[in-house]
Amino acid sequence: MAKKSDKRIGRYKLLGELGRGAMGIVYKAEDPNLDRVVALKTIILVDDAAGRKEYQKRFFLEAKAAGKLNHPHIVTTYDFGEENGIAYLAMELLEGKDLRARLQEGVLPAAEAVDIAKQVAEGLGYAHERGIVHRDVKPGNIMLLGRGRAKVMDFGLARMRMADHKTSTGMVLGTPKYMSPEQVAGSPVDNRSDIFSLGIVLYEMLTGVRLFAGEDAPQIMHNVTYSEHEPPTRVNPALPAMLDFVVARALKKDAAVRYQDAFELAADLGTCLAELRGRAGENGDSTKTVKLEAPDKASPAPAARAIAIDTRLPVSRQFDSAAALRRIAETKGKYRAPRRLGWFRRLLGDAPARRLVLTTLAAGLAGAWIAFPGWF
Amino acid sequence: MSASLAASVVFLRIHDFARRAASEQARLRAQLEAVVAVTTAEIEPLSRIVLEASDGVAIVVLRDPQGALRLAQRALTSSAAGLPLSAGLNHGAVQLAGRKGGEGMTGDGIAVAANVAEFASASRLLASRAFRDALADAAPGLEAVLVPAGTFNDPGLRTHELFGPDATALRRRSRRYTLACVALAMALIGAGLAWRISVEGQEPFVNAMLDKVPYFRALVLKVNY
Repeated sequence: MAKKSDKRIGRYKLLGELGRGAMGIVYKAEDPNLDRVVALKTIILVDDAAGRKEYQKRFFLEAKAAGKLNHPHIVTTYDFGEENGIAYLAMELLEGKDLRARLQEGVLPAAEAVDIAKQVAEGLGYAHERGIVHRDVKPGNIMLLGRGRAKVMDFGLARMRMADHKTSTGMVLGTPKYMSPEQVAGSPVDNRSDIFSLGIVLYEMLTGVRLFAGEDAPQIMHNVTYSEHEPPTRVNPALPAMLDFVVARALKKDAAVRYQDAFELAADLGTCLAELRGRAGENGDSTKTVKLEAPDKASPAPAARAIAIDTRLPVSRQFDSAAALRRIAETKGKYRAPRRLGWFRRLLGDAPARRLVLTTLAAGLAGAWIAFPGWF
Repeated sequence: MSASLAASVVFLRIHDFARRAASEQARLRAQLEAVVAVTTAEIEPLSRIVLEASDGVAIVVLRDPQGALRLAQRALTSSAAGLPLSAGLNHGAVQLAGRKGGEGMTGDGIAVAANVAEFASASRLLASRAFRDALADAAPGLEAVLVPAGTFNDPGLRTHELFGPDATALRRRSRRYTLACVALAMALIGAGLAWRISVEGQEPFVNAMLDKVPYFRALVLKVNY
């Protein structure tokens, strides 16, 4: 809880501690110049002089870029500076709780989850348009305010953290739960990486299932890179089918086939939201998308390209295939591949070939009758 | 685990499905389901299983390659209205999968059909050599409707010989066989005539023929006058 003190960082008078993170402490502070209460995020700079200078330079660059972001779904950065080896960011102080805390209370109602994801996607889209990639979209970085508003925070800070947490071999340390496949591989990332991360957050909000969970970081990284998710409607059949498509596209392992633009994701989420709200108001006929019957819990269906590796396809619930399945099950072991036809049976079955043979025979007989009349 | 069986697999794939907006994906998926509902109606439920793929559907047709080919062709025809569909046909091993044995199907028959569909361009049907052979066994001569369309390597580096439908191929084949019939008949009868003339000489042969068919003699006399 916030506690009054006389301590200052820069011109900011610290009013209390709001939280602690991997990089530093977040304080509630007062800006005496503007008589405004802010959230002051501190980052402890590294000890060695060369590294520190580089780190500070990068921090200022990132903070400057983030400071230019002015969007209703992005936490505003007011100011930044450095004092006594501590870099700080003065940000908008929000009254609310972060999504991580909200998720601990249970699964969110679908409309609320989709609305939050849509707002975050809009915020990300705005930042991406200005060339800023968040790199650390996760529930802990999404603030939930009153009246269902959501804001993304800590833009640009992830890059500092990544740099901090990389070993000499380039391995990423920390929990990669919300990272994209390209991020865990240590490849360069762009806006599509944020879209993947938001896809994981959306999935968790909708189903309560933490995707790509694992016992340790390498296992999570493996899951992020190779595991396919189960469509959300299979976990929660009450969800609209369109959300399966939205989540599937956001969580494509290949960034080239993922949503290329966060605004596009926001637009699709907007359509889902309209349907969900339409359902809630029981007048869903205006913006109703196609309702696919939610199937039982079963394996997800792979795409044609992936089938080369995993050929298992689930039976479609839209069509009744029970009779044929029963037929196969009953003929267990007795069902043999049909034998190839011999040339004679093939000849009998093929009308033009049959005609050719019969004509040849008839003409041969006629020719023989002409040539050897004594034989007949 | 159930025993495997050979069946025809029609893989109907929506082109560039993953790249499309989710609203469009939902629309296309609904359209595809309508197409599948119409086209599978003519195959008895006892002989077909519809499987779900994330970018299309796979229909396993038991003991009816002709039905599978017809289904694929009808699906492509009815998909003309804005549904970018391609079809891959294969005949191969499939098996029930899943703990209850009824949750899905697996097998090389499906994998190859998926690969073939992946290779086919929009509104195009391609079939594997195995499917063409199965069609030839089920309806000899009908395999001629599938003409060579090239070969390709799948992601597993397996080479597939592909065939595409040609509506006029059957008529062309029938015409070729008719011409062959006429040519063979003429050749055989001509050979008989030639043999006889070479043995007896032209005059006696002609006289013998005219004696055998009095009408010819009357005709020759009429022409001489």
